[in-house]
Amino acid sequence: MKVSLFIPCTVDLMMPEIGVAVYKLLSRLGAEPVYHANQTCCGQPLYNAGYREQAKRAAKHFIEVFGEDDIIVSPSGSCVSMVKHHYPELLCDETSWYNRAFELSGRIFEFSQFVVDILCVTDVGASFSGKVTYHESCHIYRALGISHHPKKLIAAVKGTQLVEMSNATACCGFGGEFSVGFPEISEAMVKDKAENFLNTGADVLVLNEPGCLLNINGYLHRNYPQKRAMHLASFLYENSVEVNHA
Amino acid sequence: MHNRVDKFREIASREMQNELSRAFLLMLSLGAPIMRQIGMSSFPDPDCAEAYGRAIRAEAIERMPELLEEFEKNAEASGAKVIWAKDAGEANAAVLKIAKERNISYVTKGKSMVTEETGLNEHLIENGVDVFESDLGEVITQMLGRLPFHIVGPALNVPPGEISDIFLKKGIIKEPTDIFLKKGIIKEPTENPVELGRAARVFLREKFRRLEMGIVGVNMAVAETGTIINVENEGNIRMNKSSPKTLVAIMSLEKVVPTMTDALHMARILSRNCTGQKLTGYVSMDTGPKKPGEIDGPEELFIIIVDNGRSEIYRDVKVREILRCIRCGACLNTCPVYSKIGGYPYGFSYSGPMGQIINPMLLGIGSTADLYRACTLCGACKNICPAGIDHPSLLLEYRARQKGQGNMPVFERMTATAASVAMASGSLWSIGAKCARPLLNSFAKDGYIKNMPLVAKGWFACRDLRAMPRKTFREMWKELNKSSADKKESI
Amino acid sequence: MNSPSRDEILSRLKSARKIAPTERPAAPVLSERALNSGQMLERFTAELAAQTGTTYTAKGVQDARRILSEIAAAEGFKKVITAGIDTHGVDIKSWGREGAVNVLTHEELKDRESLREAAFTADAGITFADFAVAETGTIGIVFDKDQPRLASIAPPVHIAIVPVEKLYPVYEDVIEKVFADKNKIPGHFAFITGPSATADIQAIGFKGMHGPVKVMVIFIVNGEK
Repeated sequence: MKVSLFIPCTVDLMMPEIGVAVYKLLSRLGAEPVYHANQTCCGQPLYNAGYREQAKRAAKHFIEVFGEDDIIVSPSGSCVSMVKHHYPELLCDETSWYNRAFELSGRIFEFSQFVVDILCVTDVGASFSGKVTYHESCHIYRALGISHHPKKLIAAVKGTQLVEMSNATACCGFGGEFSVGFPEISEAMVKDKAENFLNTGADVLVLNEPGCLLNINGYLHRNYPQKRAMHLASFLYENSVEVNHA
Repeated sequence: MHNRVDKFREIASREMQNELSRAFLLMLSLGAPIMRQIGMSSFPDPDCAEAYGRAIRAEAIERMPELLEEFEKNAEASGAKVIWAKDAGEANAAVLKIAKERNISYVTKGKSMVTEETGLNEHLIENGVDVFESDLGEVITQMLGRLPFHIVGPALNVPPGEISDIFLKKGIIKEPTDIFLKKGIIKEPTENPVELGRAARVFLREKFRRLEMGIVGVNMAVAETGTIINVENEGNIRMNKSSPKTLVAIMSLEKVVPTMTDALHMARILSRNCTGQKLTGYVSMDTGPKKPGEIDGPEELFIIIVDNGRSEIYRDVKVREILRCIRCGACLNTCPVYSKIGGYPYGFSYSGPMGQIINPMLLGIGSTADLYRACTLCGACKNICPAGIDHPSLLLEYRARQKGQGNMPVFERMTATAASVAMASGSLWSIGAKCARPLLNSFAKDGYIKNMPLVAKGWFACRDLRAMPRKTFREMWKELNKSSADKKESI
Repeated sequence: MNSPSRDEILSRLKSARKIAPTERPAAPVLSERALNSGQMLERFTAELAAQTGTTYTAKGVQDARRILSEIAAAEGFKKVITAGIDTHGVDIKSWGREGAVNVLTHEELKDRESLREAAFTADAGITFADFAVAETGTIGIVFDKDQPRLASIAPPVHIAIVPVEKLYPVYEDVIEKVFADKNKIPGHFAFITGPSATADIQAIGFKGMHGPVKVMVIFIVNGEK
């Protein structure tokens, strides 16, 4: 099946290796990923800041780019949530755009949800001997209601021991502009997240939200440079058989 | 009440350095949700109970105008006197008038958030009527002259030593006659919460005994019967409803509930969400003043219905759902931001997520930006809210209103528009990335940016940022696609 | 009563856009209604015990008097206040005389002042309760000319006497009766669950804030007058 990749701005600009991982994994699992080169950003930063007119511009572009795709997959839950839940509301006073947005909302999937529910795969052929723990990002856990999918994928990695972190569902303190606008509070929150991670004794923290990743890895690099967090797609891909043998 | 929202950041900073507050907030954020969870799971079907409660509140607010009229009609038929107050000034003036007409020298008060909002206590005291809060948390908060730390327990965070000091200063601890305890009442400072509570009991008992006018809030105003319902554990509200000849009950518009059966369900929901209890110790229901021949209870019951901005909120359909709030405080206990800063920074009688959605509408969007922006939109509050309020949506709406008000600085508008134009064109986006890379990476050392002047300083206070890679995903795509096309068999 | 403010507020509200409320989902099942009378008593006792209250069952009024005497002796009552002479068939004045406890019934008190004096100095308040609810070990009291309010809130001990036939599974069963006739709704009705309590200092919970510190409930089973 053809799958259209929606690579969020954070991944495109700052962590393209996640996009590569998604592409390679989905290819290997039998989906045929395509990538529309004129995609940009879902507009969430503008929307969250309150620039609705400007966010509409981004939304309309997105709908134009992805409008014909049967399935859209993205490694960012917050972006998927933006498209699914906020595009229709954002465009509610322009009927034809609203209809297109509403219709699109049924065709966009978060990465782990797509692999488990649509491709019906839990074992992607990866192996990692070590302890792994998982951070439940706010948009994925609460806005999209996704929690079992990523954990199933991690647990199926041969040799991996998935351990639970305390307060795994607590917000990491990113919140986009919040991390810059309210740095002290944000720091207190990401500090807790990092400490909870360290207390599990896990070798790596896995999560599937790029924003959280920037935040947590940024903090870890400054304060605990030997520890790191990885995107789920990167974790699965980098530990896959073919990469290890390459 | 005078608000201190403009001090949000300063007070948040101060509170985060307060060891005692932090320790207490940690305990609250871990313990309270568990208590709530235990309470909710005592329902045979918690999801059903929650959905039903949300439906009741949604309906109550949609039908609010007709329910208020029905409530008023039934309350007056039972002998209550209903007074409508369009703003804080009118509400305060109405209470003062009642007190003055009856030569009241002091009142005792049950906990009422709307009276904190209107600043009733200050108004009465300024005009010669002494006010004694009677809910223990409010007693302490009133004496210390502070904002509430938490909507349910306004003085939860105050260390017993501080309470002891203020009790000594205000004469709560001295040597009154002990009519209750077998052993003597404390005569010396104590840090024992139970003894402090006992001292407050003895002090207020004298006030209850000679009380001529009591003031209470209202948890639910039942339209079907004209009944006001209060839930409490301490018994001070029942004291106010039993001892004096005059009782004043103050409610804001949104307290209406359609029927008694609805009220019972909401009592179960409120108790569990508030304290984890299945039902609070006292649920008292007043329909009019006392009847002829009764020896105690109020001869006059005044019900003051306060608007103070709520009818405007009601008309503002996008934010109408704020009025569903039942003041349970569950959102505070689950908010990751509140659990770092406590109630003081929010600067008004309402704190936490419910304060963040209510205060901007009561105080104005223009002066409350910190309140609707100090949020990661994590959704924990919305998830747990028994009234079904969508806090993140409301905060996003306020942010949009702030920016849409047409007074955005030109530079800001230009930047946002430029960003949106870049987001509307793949090639512009690409060009933008190419320009940003050298600029951003000029601050990088060994592949990481540790600081940047001006922009995004807040990020770098505790975090690094990996330098922008040489190629964006878009730039890598051509090779990626080509090489995979070549290697198609091996994948 | 009409006023400009009332008109202003109501007109603002009524001219707002109306949104029809969505239909309600199914009401929750009140599972306590499946309890039989034995189970209700068990449930009531356990729930009240969890709030540090004590439940007694008296086989008739004589037994109730005996239980009252036990409690009075254990707590050292000198003076108690009660509603009327007849507390569900228990002749409380004669009980008082027998046990040398000064029993003040509110019928003997002429006005609010003397009631307050009595209630705030009594060791206990003995009330008859109109209802009990198994769901949470709750009693329901209708306050009227035969039942003063202060007797159950001011003294440090509250003893409620209830015929066991008035024990119902859930609050709804009680409210249905109390609010049945719109013209006969009592001025004051309260559900009381255990003693007064607070946790306002450092979330440390304790019993006995402004209301009673102890609550006892005596069910009269097979009541004989």
